[in-house]
Amino acid sequence: MKPEHGTVGAPPGRVEAASPREGPDVDLEHRPEAVLSVLEADQLVAAKERAHLGRMRLSGGVRVLLGGLRLYVVAMMIIVLVQVLNAVHGGH
Amino acid sequence: MEGRTEYLRAQVAPAVPTVGPGPGLLGEAGSGEITHEDLDRARDRLAVERARRAGSGRISLVRRLWPLWLLVGPGILVFLGENDAPSMLSYAATGAQYGIGFFVPFILVTFLMAFVVQEMTVRLGAVTHRGHAELIFDRFGTFWGRFAMGDLIVGNFLTLVTEFIGIRAGLSFFGVPPVVAVGGSMLLVFGVILTHRYWTWERITLGLAAFNGLFIPAALFAHPQWGALGHAFLTWSPFPQGGLFKPDVMLLLMSNIGATVTPWMLFFQQSAVVDKGLQPRDIRAGRTDTMIGTLLAAAFGIAALVATAPLLAHGIKTEDYQAAQFAQALQPWIGRAGATCFALGIFEAGLLAAMTISTSSAYAFGEVFHRPHSLNRPLWEGWSFYGILLASAFAAGALVLLPNAPLTYIVLIVNVIAVLAMPPALLFLVLLCNDREVVGEHTSGRWGNIAIVTVTVLLIVAGLGYGLVTVFPKLLGGG
Repeated sequence: MKPEHGTVGAPPGRVEAASPREGPDVDLEHRPEAVLSVLEADQLVAAKERAHLGRMRLSGGVRVLLGGLRLYVVAMMIIVLVQVLNAVHGGH
Repeated sequence: MEGRTEYLRAQVAPAVPTVGPGPGLLGEAGSGEITHEDLDRARDRLAVERARRAGSGRISLVRRLWPLWLLVGPGILVFLGENDAPSMLSYAATGAQYGIGFFVPFILVTFLMAFVVQEMTVRLGAVTHRGHAELIFDRFGTFWGRFAMGDLIVGNFLTLVTEFIGIRAGLSFFGVPPVVAVGGSMLLVFGVILTHRYWTWERITLGLAAFNGLFIPAALFAHPQWGALGHAFLTWSPFPQGGLFKPDVMLLLMSNIGATVTPWMLFFQQSAVVDKGLQPRDIRAGRTDTMIGTLLAAAFGIAALVATAPLLAHGIKTEDYQAAQFAQALQPWIGRAGATCFALGIFEAGLLAAMTISTSSAYAFGEVFHRPHSLNRPLWEGWSFYGILLASAFAAGALVLLPNAPLTYIVLIVNVIAVLAMPPALLFLVLLCNDREVVGEHTSGRWGNIAIVTVTVLLIVAGLGYGLVTVFPKLLGGG
């Protein structure tokens, strides 16, 4: 599990965590370590840009289901189009 | 959970942000340093931590609820955003054609279905810190991802068009010319993002969303029969004359489902949860946020139906009314004040949804093309994000100014399209929420899965029913 107050990303001992007890005007901009103490490691923009979840292995059944639902959407859209055209020609 | 955490830690390890050569130096996106976006999100998190610390022990109710106040937002916004102009006009059309009856409990059930769906996006966003579009592309690849994005972009654009129809309709009651109504609203959308701060954007839009409650006084001005309302909730009656399997009833049925369950909601809420910086231990607050949004939106939606019920009681045919004219049509029956509430409510519904739906498109675009995608980005850094947001809103607004478009019909059809596009989106959602590598210990439980599969099957059946009744109007005894 991730730590509740994540200090991931900065070596132990160097982190000056932003304490909730500190005043409301903690200057995070000048204490970047404090940013690391309140955000989770994979919440940082830099981390998200580099780390991506890998591809899921899709079983045959899931592929068929995805394909079937795709066909369903296409068929239904055609029906909607027909209804719209009928409505336009029939003065809806 | 451990598997995913370990996987991500291994990935993140070389990417741990350097703090920069000296304190106070913020990095640009992609530099590996802490960005402006991180800093703003950290400020929000710090506020939550402080509120949690102050909110323990024996203290006042306000201080106890303060952490929740800081954490709510995406859930309320997504539901009141979905109580948008086409949705409210759909409820209005339903009330005007069928009055208080079957559709009242039906609307409540559709909202509960929507809660089941939206709760899953809270978990996905809080655990992965990634938007829905990004997860679909990462886990299912570009082939399936492009389909999902295609559905989203087309659906969002069509819906945005209808939002500006609502804006134009609502303000026309006060004699505001369409160009001024649409142009002014575009300026408001632009003005709010100038804050380039998620928290500020969220609180402004939440303030705007409160005006969705105007449908409650509009309904009260209609002097509803409370007994009939209670009877409708308990018995789901009176039923529409001629049964459900008539093309026009099916159209309203689908439109009402589409008024609560749509693809943009999935993408918006998950991205907003990420942008807000929610973490796994905030999931409970995220659920509460979503439930509050569900109940508020259901109450306001039903109120719109109740407000227009007098039109049925007085035999007023609504087919001849364009979206703009519901408030005018209601005025003799619910008075000037009631009609004003209704018109302002439609305007608010369109404006709020124009903000949230265009933001949903911009989030998805940024996630898929690995461009900045946060309302915490400064304008110069997130120009592509803000550009997409504004361009989609402006293009939709411009289309609405075209004369002689069948506005009410467009509104109903857009909701139908939203329902038809949902099943594939829900399949992605189910797979992601049951993927231990993605959500770890926060996978859906048995009942959660039963609920979401039931919702998916119901949507497919409703879609097929709509298709059959449309193609073969007399097949099921309707027409």
